[in-house]
Amino acid sequence: MNAVKIAWRVTRLNFRSQLEYRTEFLLMVAIGAIWQVSVIVFATVLLTRFTGMGGWDSSDVLLIPATRMLAHGLFVLVLGRMHGIGRFIQEGQIDVYLLRPMPVHRQVQLQYFPTNAIGDLTVATGLMAGALSRSHLDWNAGRVTYLVVCLVGGMLLEAALFTAVASASLRFPTADYWSRWLEELLGTFGSYPLNVLPKAVGGFLTFGIPLAFVAYFPAAVLTGHGHDTGVPYWLAAASPLIGVLAYLASRLLWRWSLNHYTGVNG
Amino acid sequence: MIGSIEVRSLSRSFHTTVRRPGFTGALRSLVNPERAVKHAVSDISFDVAPGELLALLGPNGAGKSTTIKMLTGILTPTSGEARVAGVVPYEDRERNARNIGAVFGQRTQLWWDLPVRESFAILRDIYEVPGAEHAARLKEFDDILELSSFWDTRVRHLSLGQRVRCDLAAALLHDPPVVFLDEPTIGMDVVVKEQVREFLRHQVEQRGRTVLLTTHDMTEVERLAERVVLVNHGRLVLDGTLDEIRRKYGSTWQVRATLADAHTDVVPPPGITLLRQEGPQVVFGPDGPDAPTVHQALKAVIERYEVTGIAIDEADLEDVMRAAYVHAGPGAEGA
Repeated sequence: MNAVKIAWRVTRLNFRSQLEYRTEFLLMVAIGAIWQVSVIVFATVLLTRFTGMGGWDSSDVLLIPATRMLAHGLFVLVLGRMHGIGRFIQEGQIDVYLLRPMPVHRQVQLQYFPTNAIGDLTVATGLMAGALSRSHLDWNAGRVTYLVVCLVGGMLLEAALFTAVASASLRFPTADYWSRWLEELLGTFGSYPLNVLPKAVGGFLTFGIPLAFVAYFPAAVLTGHGHDTGVPYWLAAASPLIGVLAYLASRLLWRWSLNHYTGVNG
Repeated sequence: MIGSIEVRSLSRSFHTTVRRPGFTGALRSLVNPERAVKHAVSDISFDVAPGELLALLGPNGAGKSTTIKMLTGILTPTSGEARVAGVVPYEDRERNARNIGAVFGQRTQLWWDLPVRESFAILRDIYEVPGAEHAARLKEFDDILELSSFWDTRVRHLSLGQRVRCDLAAALLHDPPVVFLDEPTIGMDVVVKEQVREFLRHQVEQRGRTVLLTTHDMTEVERLAERVVLVNHGRLVLDGTLDEIRRKYGSTWQVRATLADAHTDVVPPPGITLLRQEGPQVVFGPDGPDAPTVHQALKAVIERYEVTGIAIDEADLEDVMRAAYVHAGPGAEGA
């Protein structure tokens, strides 16, 4: 209970401190939104120029970027401080966290308020609202619940990928550059039905970097394309579970890496 | 034991890549890296009693910070054992964290964007310090460190001296029996340094805290520490009181005398050597391991010669430590 109280207190204070720098705050919100401009352009082109993609109706395709972006916004808000941790490691901030009687991972998440998440989530919510309003599906309680669970699973899967890179950064701080590549990759390929890509690329984005489990498989299951994804239906449907398992595995990796942390500057 | 530090055969090694010279060497290292083991700390043992302030000294890269990092739970030793207030720091990091306070002069443990007082309040919640106790302790710290004039300022806007004073307070707000200070006064002006020293003296003498301090400031060592552990090249080379160190490495005094008769045949007393003579001006120094102290030498010179003027230059602690560092080269044996 005390942990929740502390987390809430720090988050509130961090948010308040960001609000006090008005221009900086607005710029951060704006960058969060503008960062998603490629997805917005993709959605606009999709809806205005094409009737579908890879055998999917365009309104069904729209559910993929909407799911990915909302999962991404939640990730940035809740667990996103793992992204870009290299600088903090090089500045010796991890040493400071290790001096406090509090899990290091939690302290990393509480180090500042991610104002850009407001922009991310605003755009993502708008896109999801648009996708749902154009959808021809029956959004019953079961489907809505599955969508919500998939959003959480997608958030955890993205968090797992960045936590894995952050774990490597504990040993090699420059590994943090990989997180930029990862973000670029998720942003570039996360909006498409992966069956339009060459098989090797699709395979890599399923079993190498498991991007397919963030939004493509969940959207496929929701829209009735779950049997045409190239993986067993049950695996596609279990995407949220994959997210949970990947996240738990990444936290174990983080803990192991922290136990082998060698510090900076001797 | 509460407040004690016990270090037994503590070692920490790091694996590094040997850098080959030149561009070709760099390419060769990339293709076929040559690995080497760097022993940052080798087989160090010492104790710090409850309520004692110990200065851990040594040149840059000697292994001081690595030792402190192992004792604070940041690093796990390669071998050996350490207990801080009865806890093995690297095995039970969070429990150890409740027993210790730490200040690294170059880094802050305060929240960069928050006013200092908010950071103090968060730390109060993290360490679960009762409100009244927190307020009383904050007042005590404010009386010496004068924090209240800037504790509503965000950390990012504080000067170095203000920031480190706040860090000191933050490190002690939960009343830890053991405190680690890694170059806490680095970069501070003399006034603030003295304020910090007074605060530390108060914490040791009045509150009975155990303090392990690393510093390159010998004035700080003289003012605060009675006992010193000297490390060099990762090895402990000396563990003793300041007097013992002065006796071992500090015999670098000089006695300058003006003789009444410039033609006096100068034959120095035993244990003393003639360093220079220019007319009636003579300079004596210590000779050999059984050299007298500066005061004994002064007496001996006055008794032996007729002098019209005399002065002494005694090595300060910085000279003594310089001599100790030079003697304590690689492979030096513990004293």
